[in-house]
Amino acid sequence: MRLVVERLSKAYNFLWALRDFNVELESGDLVALLGPNGAGKTTLLKLLVGLITRTSGSIRFDGPSRIAPLFSRPRTGLLMPADHLYDNLTVRENLSFFLSLYGYRCDLQMIDDALEEVALLDRGTEFVGNLSSGMRCRVSLAKWKLLQPDLLLLDEPYGVLDGSGIDLLERFLRNLVENGGIVIMASHHVSRALKLCRRALILKQGRLIFNEVKRQPWPSFDRAFGEFLPQGEEWSS
Amino acid sequence: MELLKQTSLLLWKDLLLEVRRRDSLLTMFFFGTLLLFVFHFSFDLPPDKVAEMAPALLWLAFLFTGTLGLTQLFQVERENHTLEALLLSPLDRGALFLAKSCFNLLLMSLVELVVMPLFWILFNLQGWNLLPQLFLVTLLGTVGFCVLGTMMSAITLRARARELLLPLVLFPLMIPVILATIRCMEGIMSAEEVGAAGSWLRLLLGFDVIFLTVGILIFDQVIES
Repeated sequence: MRLVVERLSKAYNFLWALRDFNVELESGDLVALLGPNGAGKTTLLKLLVGLITRTSGSIRFDGPSRIAPLFSRPRTGLLMPADHLYDNLTVRENLSFFLSLYGYRCDLQMIDDALEEVALLDRGTEFVGNLSSGMRCRVSLAKWKLLQPDLLLLDEPYGVLDGSGIDLLERFLRNLVENGGIVIMASHHVSRALKLCRRALILKQGRLIFNEVKRQPWPSFDRAFGEFLPQGEEWSS
Repeated sequence: MELLKQTSLLLWKDLLLEVRRRDSLLTMFFFGTLLLFVFHFSFDLPPDKVAEMAPALLWLAFLFTGTLGLTQLFQVERENHTLEALLLSPLDRGALFLAKSCFNLLLMSLVELVVMPLFWILFNLQGWNLLPQLFLVTLLGTVGFCVLGTMMSAITLRARARELLLPLVLFPLMIPVILATIRCMEGIMSAEEVGAAGSWLRLLLGFDVIFLTVGILIFDQVIES
């Protein structure tokens, strides 16, 4: 599967949040999306999953979906660390609701296995609203483990997770791309994101200023990213 | 078939959340009852004016109560951005429209089941045997209200002052439904106009079918814009 984005632009009134964004990604790509606040990262993620309408440009998925073609569009997922879950449903109810919504048979054993993987098996009957942000992020992780999207986008996933949560997340993402998925992760935790990714994109004021496959050493990245560091700090990949 | 399956799944979720939160139904019920008491202390219903005034007063209460429910309709989807989670899924948007309309219809019908007999008691009205027919007509009017209300609620979802905006856009569009319902109820309550009630009833059914069909067809444009 290939994701081809051509001249993608988004304007909010007279302000360009994203302008002429081009990228081609293939199955197995794990991309770090970097840039300062207001660079257009979240806008790009929301455009890619179709949550907001583009002003111009195109987003195309080429090739067959790695999932059985149950649905007419490639399955995309957006992992927002503490969002997209119902507070007044229990953890199990949330997962079973979303499984059914995506057309899966609601298998309680599958849900329990996913919860066990994110170390939340004993919290299955608790309301999501009673969980901490880190635990909610783990529930979201379990959700996307069950749904196995072709394209998974993540918005600042590291902020709320503890050490073991980060391990779980990174293992899941590696596994997803090894099985043919594409992952794009927007993050300000640059060192973590770079360790995990195979490619980095840097946005600045809505424009893509850097798009390279990872290598070691990576002086071009160091130069491009250096300008976003706090004064006096240095960066080396 | 898939549309009905998705609709029932979403409706189950909304009902479960309402049972646990109890905010919409209780608020609507108390507000509806409160309005009846306000009417009771403000008006006298002379026996010769009952057929004219009772349906209008009842529908005034239903309209305000229903609008209160509509402002809460997408509240659970606003919290934690769960509407985004629904829109990300391969869900048929028509199912979301149907589920929300059915959910609101269920809440309003429950309130109406309590408010209508209470109205009869408070105003000491005769003709209890007419209540089932009046309730059926009210139900048809409520279908129109809920279908159109769900659409308008979705349109104003991202508006800043949505609670203020919703009645402003909804009430003018509701006029045909309210008019047909009230005239139909008047016809049932005054024996002389029973014949006219039939034509208002057909009009009401027509509105319900049109609003429902249009709603299912265009809801994806409304909710994704």
